[in-house]
Amino acid sequence: MRAPVKAHIGTVADTRVIGPITQTDIVRFAGAGGDFNPLHHDPEFVANIRGPWMVIAMGQMQADPGRLASDTFGVEHVRSFGSRSACRPVRDTLTVGGTITAITDTDGETRADLDLVVSGSKRDRLSPVRQRSSSPGA
Amino acid sequence: MTEPLSVGELDRVDYDIERGKIREFVRATFTTDPAHTDRDAAQAAGFADAPRPHPRRRRFATSATSKLVDTLGLALERVVVGSVKWTYLRTLIAGDHVVGTRRIVDDVQREGKRGGSMRIVTLETEYVDTDGDPVVRLEEVLIERGEQR
Repeated sequence: MRAPVKAHIGTVADTRVIGPITQTDIVRFAGAGGDFNPLHHDPEFVANIRGPWMVIAMGQMQADPGRLASDTFGVEHVRSFGSRSACRPVRDTLTVGGTITAITDTDGETRADLDLVVSGSKRDRLSPVRQRSSSPGA
Repeated sequence: MTEPLSVGELDRVDYDIERGKIREFVRATFTTDPAHTDRDAAQAAGFADAPRPHPRRRRFATSATSKLVDTLGLALERVVVGSVKWTYLRTLIAGDHVVGTRRIVDDVQREGKRGGSMRIVTLETEYVDTDGDPVVRLEEVLIERGEQR
């Protein structure tokens, strides 16, 4: 096991910009995760449902750029993860950033609460995605 | 109205953690830690084999959607996933085999803020390894909006 990374309250220096998300990225994610809802890859299907929709990336696809937490702190140090997602349209560019909001002692470990926010660049009615995850500080 | 359900199992999935699938998943999710894909990096990090990125999506049994409808009587077109919370008890590595059993742990009706009633169903999946030790837990909250009048 790698040594835990030292964590401090405040903004995490590591940020990430992903995209523009292409249809290929979405299809690759669909194949890796097994999400074959046609809403995510079939423009003809999307055109036939009500409303001014376009092909959208999976909600969880934005959770996954949140891999920032495990890439920064080590997968073996991430203890929990929760998310609420909004859908982002294709060609959107995502920015991932994190802030450590609390450091607490739980079950004999020191854990940090990391508030991750994934934001899109496209102006539309969709709201940013907020995520929470915990990992040990030291 | 559907009768509230008693506590019970909903479905079960089992799968192998595979090195090739880890690689595919890491690429699809823009994950950068080389431990997932490079054996030397994995060993240097203290893993016997490639660590699996922690799951954040549940893998459904093929019958899961119809079971949700049949067992819970949910109208899927009115269902949204309210929240999900994963708890990781250990890092899975290539070669692991896990079995996840999903149970209904809560099923309540609540009045919505803008009138109409909502049904809130909480599901918990516990994944165990071949030793029977829990490795991952998932709590999902599904919200079924009331019918439009």
